Amino acid sequence: MKKNFLKGAMLFVFLIFTGLLTAQNLNVSGTVSDQNGPLPGVNILIKGSSTGTQTDFDGNYSLTNVSPNATLVFSYIGFKTQEVIINGRSTINTTLEEDAQALEEVVVVGYGTLTRKEVTSAISTVKAEDFNQGGSRSPMDLIQGKVAGLNITRTQGNNPNQGASIQLRGVSSLTGTLSPLIVVDGIPGGNLDLLQQDDIASIDVLKDGSAAAIYGTRGNAGVILITTKKGKSGEASFEYNTYVQRDIVDKKPNYLRPDEFRSLITEGLIAQNQDLGYSTDLYDELINKNNLSQYHNLSASGGDAKTNYRASLFYNDAEGIAKENGRQQFGGRIGVNHTGLNDLLTLQANLAGNFNKANLLGGSTGDFEQAIQRNPTAPLINPDGSFFETQAYNNYNPLSRLENRINERDQQTFSGDLKLTLQIAKGLSGSVFGSYVRNAYNDRYYRSTKDWEQRENSQYLGTAYASKANYLDWSKTLETTINYINTFADIHTVNAILGYSYQYGTREEFNVNNSGFTTDGFLDWNLGAGSAINNTQLPRPGMGSFKEDNTLIGFFGRVNYSYDNKYFAQLILRREGSSRFGNNNKWGNFPAASIGWSLSEETFLNDVDYIDNLKLRLGYGVTGNQGIPNYQSIVSLGTGGVYPQDGVYYQTYGAARNPNPDLKWEEKKEFNLGLDFAFLNNRLSGSVDVYQRKTTDLLYEYTAQQPPFLRDKLYTNVGTLTNKGVEFLISAIPVTNDDLKWSTDLTFSYQTNKLEVLSNDAFQANWLEFGGLPSPGNLGSAIRLEEGGSVGNFYGKRFAGFNDEGKWLFHKADGTTALATDMNEDDLSIIGNGVPKVNASLGNTITYKNFDLSIFFRGKFGFDILNTKEMYFGNRKWLPNNILKSAVTTHTELNDDPQYSDYYLEKGDFVKLDNITLGYNFDFPSEYIKNLRLYASGKNLATFTNYSGIDPELQDTGFTAGIDGRSFYPRTQTFTIGLNVGF
Amino acid sequence: MKYSITTKAGVLGAFLLFFTSACTDLDEKIYSELNSGNFYNNKTEVLQGALRPFTHMQAWLAPTGQSGYYYHSELSSDQLAWPQKGRHGYDSGDHFRQHYHTWTSNEGRMRSAWVLMWTGVGYVNGAIEDLSGIQDPTSLGMTEEELKSILAELYVLRAFHYMKIMDLWGNVPIITKVGEPLNPPTQSRAEVFEFVKNELETYVPQLPLYSEELIGRTTATAGYAMLSELYLNAEKWVGTPMYDECIAASNKIINGEAGGIGGTPQLSDNILETFGNTNKTSPENLYQVAFSRQGGFTFDWGGFFMGYDNMKEALNVGYGGWNAFVVIPSAFDAYDDNDLRKKEWFLFGPQYKYGTTEPVLGTEEWSGQPLVYVNSIRKESEGDISSEGSMAEGEENSGARFHKYQSSTLDDENYQENHYIMYRLTEIYFNKAEAIMRKNNGVATQEAVDLINNSRKRAFSEADWSSNKYTTSTLTMEELLAERGREFIFEGKRRTDLIRFDQYVNGTWWDHEPSGDATKEIYPIPSNQIANNPNLIQNPGY
Repeated sequence: MKKNFLKGAMLFVFLIFTGLLTAQNLNVSGTVSDQNGPLPGVNILIKGSSTGTQTDFDGNYSLTNVSPNATLVFSYIGFKTQEVIINGRSTINTTLEEDAQALEEVVVVGYGTLTRKEVTSAISTVKAEDFNQGGSRSPMDLIQGKVAGLNITRTQGNNPNQGASIQLRGVSSLTGTLSPLIVVDGIPGGNLDLLQQDDIASIDVLKDGSAAAIYGTRGNAGVILITTKKGKSGEASFEYNTYVQRDIVDKKPNYLRPDEFRSLITEGLIAQNQDLGYSTDLYDELINKNNLSQYHNLSASGGDAKTNYRASLFYNDAEGIAKENGRQQFGGRIGVNHTGLNDLLTLQANLAGNFNKANLLGGSTGDFEQAIQRNPTAPLINPDGSFFETQAYNNYNPLSRLENRINERDQQTFSGDLKLTLQIAKGLSGSVFGSYVRNAYNDRYYRSTKDWEQRENSQYLGTAYASKANYLDWSKTLETTINYINTFADIHTVNAILGYSYQYGTREEFNVNNSGFTTDGFLDWNLGAGSAINNTQLPRPGMGSFKEDNTLIGFFGRVNYSYDNKYFAQLILRREGSSRFGNNNKWGNFPAASIGWSLSEETFLNDVDYIDNLKLRLGYGVTGNQGIPNYQSIVSLGTGGVYPQDGVYYQTYGAARNPNPDLKWEEKKEFNLGLDFAFLNNRLSGSVDVYQRKTTDLLYEYTAQQPPFLRDKLYTNVGTLTNKGVEFLISAIPVTNDDLKWSTDLTFSYQTNKLEVLSNDAFQANWLEFGGLPSPGNLGSAIRLEEGGSVGNFYGKRFAGFNDEGKWLFHKADGTTALATDMNEDDLSIIGNGVPKVNASLGNTITYKNFDLSIFFRGKFGFDILNTKEMYFGNRKWLPNNILKSAVTTHTELNDDPQYSDYYLEKGDFVKLDNITLGYNFDFPSEYIKNLRLYASGKNLATFTNYSGIDPELQDTGFTAGIDGRSFYPRTQTFTIGLNVGF
Repeated sequence: MKYSITTKAGVLGAFLLFFTSACTDLDEKIYSELNSGNFYNNKTEVLQGALRPFTHMQAWLAPTGQSGYYYHSELSSDQLAWPQKGRHGYDSGDHFRQHYHTWTSNEGRMRSAWVLMWTGVGYVNGAIEDLSGIQDPTSLGMTEEELKSILAELYVLRAFHYMKIMDLWGNVPIITKVGEPLNPPTQSRAEVFEFVKNELETYVPQLPLYSEELIGRTTATAGYAMLSELYLNAEKWVGTPMYDECIAASNKIINGEAGGIGGTPQLSDNILETFGNTNKTSPENLYQVAFSRQGGFTFDWGGFFMGYDNMKEALNVGYGGWNAFVVIPSAFDAYDDNDLRKKEWFLFGPQYKYGTTEPVLGTEEWSGQPLVYVNSIRKESEGDISSEGSMAEGEENSGARFHKYQSSTLDDENYQENHYIMYRLTEIYFNKAEAIMRKNNGVATQEAVDLINNSRKRAFSEADWSSNKYTTSTLTMEELLAERGREFIFEGKRRTDLIRFDQYVNGTWWDHEPSGDATKEIYPIPSNQIANNPNLIQNPGY
């Protein structure tokens, strides 16, 4: 109470000075609750002032010296804001209603926030409570499948050292950045490693150009804004979240087991001498069956309305399904909000760090390729304890590598940011925001004297090899903004911002290696001891270093206007320049405009009971992409290798590139038409968006005319790409009553694209090739992107059967069929496409009394997969390497070397039961435990598909979509048991 | 107590202005590359610029794994092929089309060759432009003569590029400045020839004499060797016989007027020295790429010529390969069994782990069985020991293999120190002999016979020599081409020789049938370049 008194006293003094004190004021107190009981942390504001408080842990609040005619505004995220006129009362208790309609939901839009009803562009928001559950490797996993049009894929399953690839509304660039700009608490280009799932409050996705234009040259691929949890005033509280997790192998490739291999020897398909007398299964040997990951996150928050804080610490030990494949990390995040100077100056500061150590040795995709193709009768280990190496082409023993090598990364990531906001006048404020993000790692790598590659008969002459590498990137950002917000005549609301942004980023690298270590006593900790320094018989020691930097400067403004909550408009302009652009094109303008119309506010719909919200949105925006390599516009000399001058080998120097002083950003123009709806008391709600985006000035390394250009490529703006699509989200609450609530969310997106232009008057490119098929055979590129074609088109031969000898026959362009030797470029055509046309997900959440259950399905449809495991391993010609069983079942007719054709394309459509989580909230009659939830979760539980390979979910972002490679990381099911405690 | 709005706004405004005005600078700063404006400050730096084209040139001229001049010259000719070997080496049928002469204007590897060679021209042009801009060489510690000599080297090097480009494509643009004009027009082979001839005749006399200090550089021996080659081919290329000029240029070298390593160039007295790992100072050398593993610039022929990793054990070396190029059976058969070159320059028959009699084992068709190189390209593992075979029917042990350049073993102090020899004296002997014979209606003179015998003698034991030496009656033009093939196998020159002898499109070798189509004697301009430059004209027949 003393604290409250002090607060009251201070307020009193403040009010005297501001001359607002009146004689009849009274003290007001009360309790705020929701349907479950008292609600702590509710904001209470005296309307029309900046005076207010928050409820304490028991939901109680009190305010002193309040005008008896004032109105109290109760607000709390996730609840409908309530206004209560005091009307002379001294006790006001109120119950807040959950805000299912979420029209007051705060939407983060970059350099500020809007309420959902003010939004006129395509922005999706996912709050923490809607995140995917069950312990995620990456923050992006939290919203996988939750945002229509946002494609998040983990191409290496649950590998703790592999990130997710992210793409919004399809491919938007040829050589520039393809993934959305990540903004963490206002830091553009924020680092995902610095985010722990328990620290994230919400993730907002700016999908269309009319929203993303505020980020100018970085808006083309969309923007993902991540907001971390902040301190809340109220009683100091703790939260502890933990889980343990285990991966188990989902589906193992069907290669021949030893007895099956031997029966082929009996049949005469494999030579007798290939039975090496043992029975082994390398795949099983590579699996870490006892993997167990654990995660702990402890957070504390508290403070009052003027100063509050939140601090969290985490520790995570993530073990992959593969041996020697893990990541240990710890770190934390501290955020402070502080308001002073008569409430005119606000400071927000955050510090976050992540310290991790990754074991990169195991889990290499090549190891599992060996697991398929290794002779299963070959021993893994010789009787003397050394490792047995099979000698076939491209063979190696991964167990030897796991035993004799070190490959580790020690990484530190840090970010700090600070924002000062000064209230200049009513509705007018100015801010300065600065941030610093630093990411550094040290790599260590070692191959011992016992490693096969270091053997006596190798260039290393039996000595060990060690290397180390350092990497550092950091960026600093300074942004100043002026904000103005006001409502005129009760119906005209204006919210405007004007700003300047400066960002500098640099990257530095250093590496060194040496060999000639006669002892394994040092590992990589005494690099100078390697005799390759002085023994020229050995490979020369190597070293390298590198630095680059770039600067991005922008001026931006945004105005939001709303008329009577019915009509909304937003204008954005960003003028931005990048050091990467050529001298003739340093600066670009990125405008956007969008409008919204709340039909449900119109009188003609006011009477329609079942319509709660109906809003149309239309937006157009221009954005850019500057995510290209540095220095492409300028002339410089690069190293060209050494050549002797009178016997001494000096470096040589020549032109590093063909300079392009006209180099500029890729530019996207996007239309978006959207409809938000809510019916039947918000039991059925959602939104539909259709868009058309056209990206021009696509950057590509074009073939330069030679002669006269010095080098063969010129990085220049030529192509045009269009994407079109439809997205919708439908949320329904089929059942809701006191005990039971069932809510369901359906997302759907359909997207097509076309490369409209690839050439101009000066530069011609016939097509671009992707997905080069590996050795042996070098069967060419699987994917071709040509003018008028779609991203992900498989381009190759058309299968026409086998001849009597089992040789491939393919269709020629002239309609005849012929052997592979007679095929040329003209006989190839589009044979499939690897990019899913449709992505959909269905989430169900059921809460019954204290139980909660969520079931999440995800699927992708309308695409083909090139099954290269079948292509190479499903072929008897791969013998005497091991093969897939299909080689002697499905493909018995085939008696020819691997060829790429539509024979190996399969439909990839699938539905996954992606996540089931069951939780229970304990009711504790204790004053120490506020809440306690125990849950169990399973991920990737079932896959429904006709695809014959291991997993139909492959990389489908970028240009090499739909290729199921020979090498792979095992797909797993993940089981998690977790606990959340608040106290 | 309240701060006035104007004060606050003023503070804020000043604050904003401070950052805003300070930071609109978008100039790029480079760290790991050089600004040419700050370079060329002394002779070493001038040479560092002048020598860049060399490190590039090996990529298209030497057998270091790129699809350049060497690849096309050898794989379209009668000595080497890259057959498919089971699951290996199909490579989109590229090598089939070279071997069978069925290429189109849309060949990926031909695009590479074009790019590699014109980039070479670009580097030379760039260096000439930069070095020509040096106003006062003395301020860099160089004399006018030194700078002039370095520039002469670059002009000759550029002419060499054009000669080789003309050899492949015939009619091409001539540009001497980087980037100008944007779309240079095709010029006839005669014009290109004239340009090359003029440049060489102007600048070769300005070149320094070859000497030990200048190993690896473009000196007078290189320049006259280029002229010798140009004149020898003049009749084929532009219809003008220039055999006297060829003889004169060859004599410059033979007489020692162009210098040499350790005095006047001499034929090596054996068939290995010029290609061995100490060949840096072989007395035959006229023009060489100065590779050095210890220097950091290794001549690695492994890609094209090494077998899979199992062959490392046979040779006790560290480099592996793609099991790519093999010797065409008819080319291997062209050697008599007592020809030492047949024994020394090829890997053939059973392969043993180095220094032992323990067989190297196969890993593909012959997995687990001794690896034995055979003089055929057919499915012997499947029982075919009689057919002619074909490009599609190779196996891991098909064909004799390259062993002309030998790196020696891992423990040798000069392991992999081999230079790549672009011109050697033996070729000048052959050029001169051929010029003499062509002047003499294709009939050998004793001088011509002596020149060839001087070379050939090294390939036979003393006992065998008398029955194998040529006479004026046995050294026919046909025999000269055959001997040229035997002597220069693997040296990247076969296509030019076959064309000059009209055998490229008329000859038959192994399973290659002649097309009789003379337009195949030059390659098509890559279609993507024609698409880019409307002033390029496609060669006839494509």
